[in-house]
Amino acid sequence: MTPAIEFDGVTKVYRRRLAGQEVPALTHVSFSVNEGEVCAFLGPNGAGKTTSISILMGFQPADWGQARVLGLEPGDVRAKKKIGFVPENFAFYKHLNALKLLQFHAALAGVPKESIAPRTADLLNKVKLTGYEKLKIGKYSRGMVQRLGIAQALLGDPQLLIMDEPTSGLDPAGRKEVRDLMFALKAEGKTIFLSSHILSEVEQICDKAIIINRGRLVREGAMQNLLASGDKAEVLADRLPAELEPQLQEWGAAVEQTPHGVRITVPLERKRELAELLWAAGADVISLHPLKNSLEDLYMQLVGSENPS
Amino acid sequence: MILRTIAFNTFGTFLRDKILIVVAILFTCGLGLMMTPLLGAKAMAGMGNVAQAQALVLEIVSIILIFTSGFGSLLAAWAAADSVATEMKSGTILAVMARPVKRWQFLLGKFFGVMLLMSTYIAMMFVLSYLLALIGGEKIHSAPWVLVLYPLVRYSIYAALAMALVTVMHPFVAWGITTGVALVILMVEPTGRPVTNVGWRWIKNIVYTILPSSGLLSEERFLTIKDASLKHTSWLDHATTLAYGLDYALVLLLLAMWSFHSKSLRRD
Repeated sequence: MTPAIEFDGVTKVYRRRLAGQEVPALTHVSFSVNEGEVCAFLGPNGAGKTTSISILMGFQPADWGQARVLGLEPGDVRAKKKIGFVPENFAFYKHLNALKLLQFHAALAGVPKESIAPRTADLLNKVKLTGYEKLKIGKYSRGMVQRLGIAQALLGDPQLLIMDEPTSGLDPAGRKEVRDLMFALKAEGKTIFLSSHILSEVEQICDKAIIINRGRLVREGAMQNLLASGDKAEVLADRLPAELEPQLQEWGAAVEQTPHGVRITVPLERKRELAELLWAAGADVISLHPLKNSLEDLYMQLVGSENPS
Repeated sequence: MILRTIAFNTFGTFLRDKILIVVAILFTCGLGLMMTPLLGAKAMAGMGNVAQAQALVLEIVSIILIFTSGFGSLLAAWAAADSVATEMKSGTILAVMARPVKRWQFLLGKFFGVMLLMSTYIAMMFVLSYLLALIGGEKIHSAPWVLVLYPLVRYSIYAALAMALVTVMHPFVAWGITTGVALVILMVEPTGRPVTNVGWRWIKNIVYTILPSSGLLSEERFLTIKDASLKHTSWLDHATTLAYGLDYALVLLLLAMWSFHSKSLRRD
C-alpha cells in the first residue's frame, strides 16, 4: 500500500543571501504515514514542523531528498484534490463572510455547483458557525476563524487532512469540538497529519507520533509503543504501617500522603510483594497499577532538555 | 472556473482596498481641481475672445486626458504588484494554493482580476473623454473601441511587468521600477527634435527597441478633439500594433509565471 505521506531524507536549508548565512531547517528527515492513520507531528517551535508541512503541500521544494503525498509529488493538483489543509493561524479575506469564503474555496476545490450550498451549510453546522455565516470574518473571534479554517479544509471531502495547530486559539469547549470532529473523521477512515503542541489531546486522538527537533527526526512510532508501560508501579493504600518503612527505603520507593491514602511508587517487579506486605501488616490496598509514560514525559525526555524555555 | 473565481475575488478585494479607495478619492479631487480652470475657460469663451478661450479649453481637456491615461498605467502597476504581495503578506495564498490550483492559474487569475479593475477604470475614462469633449464643444474623432482596446493593452503590459517583478521583490520596489520603466519609455519615444549626441541616440534607439512603445500603444494617436483630419489607420495597422502590445504583455506574464513557479510560498 502506498503511504499517504512519505519523507525520504528530506533536507531544507534557508539561505539568507544578504547575511550569507545558511540555516538548516530540516536535515535528512525520513518518515511515513500510512493511509487511515492519525499521526501527530510534534516538536518545539522552530523544529521544522511548518517547513515540513510547506514541503508536503508543495509550497516550497526540498533541497535534497524526496517527499511524496498520496503517491504523488507535493503540489500535484491530483494530490491536492484529495487533501484538506488547515494552515497555522488560518488567514482569510476580510471582506468576505463565512458563506462567501466557503463558496470561494468550494469553487477552487471543484465542488459541483449544485453541491456547494448544501455542503457549506453542512460544514458550517459541523463547526458550529451556523447563524454567523453572514457576519464579516473580520469580526470573528480567533476561535471562530480557526473553526472556519477547519470547515474550508473539509470542503472537498478530503482523503488526507493536514492540520497545522488546528486547536490553537480555541477555548476548552472549542478544542473538544475539534477533537470530536477528528474522532469522527478518524472513524470515517481519513488520514490525519496533525501538528500540535497540546500533547494530552494528541495522545487521545493519534495512532502514531513523529517527533522532530532542530530539523532532525528524534522519534517515530506507534503511540502504543511510545507510551509503553514504564518500569514503575503505583500502589494506593489506606495507611502505611511503620514496620514497612525500612523495606520501602531499601527498594527506593517514593511515598506520598494524599487525601485518598498513601501513594507508594515502587519498581514494577516489587508491586506484588508490596501488596502482600501491606495486607500482611493489616493495611488495605485501594488501587494498584503500572505507571505508563505520558506523551508529555516522552516529549520532555526527547526534546525538553535541549530546548530550555 | 478557477481563473474566474480568482479573478472576481481579486477584483472584489480591490473594490474594498483602503489604499485604492483613498487614491481614487485623491484622483477624483485632482480631476475636480482640473475642472475648475476648464469650466472657467469655458465661461470666458462666452465673454469675448472666443478663439483664445476655446484653445485654452482644448488644451486643458488634453491635459486631463493625458493625466487620466497616465494615472491608469500607475494604477495597473500598483494593483498587479499589490494583488500578489497582499496574498503573500496575509497568508491567504496558503489556503488558496492548498486547493487544486496550479501556480500559473493563480497568477493568471490575479492578472485577470487586475484587468477587470482596469476595464472599470477605462470605462470611466471613456465616459470622461466624451464628457470633456462635450465641455470642449468638440467631437471625439475616433472609433469608440480604440479608446477601450488601446489603453487596455497598454495597462496589461504594465500590470504584467509589475507582476513579474513582484514575484522576486518587494511590491513597492516592483511598482517603483515599473513606474521608472514607464518614464524611460516616455523619454526614449522619438520626437520631432533630432538627437545630436551620437551616444545618446544609440542608447535611446536600443532602449526604444527593447521597451514597449507608449507612443504606438497610445489611444491618443487616435483620440483627437482638436483636429478632425485623422490619419486613416487600416485594420491591419491596428491589429499589428495591438498584437505588438499583447506580445509584450504575454512575454512578461510568462516571465512572471516562470518566476512564481519556483517561488517559496509562505507568509511574509
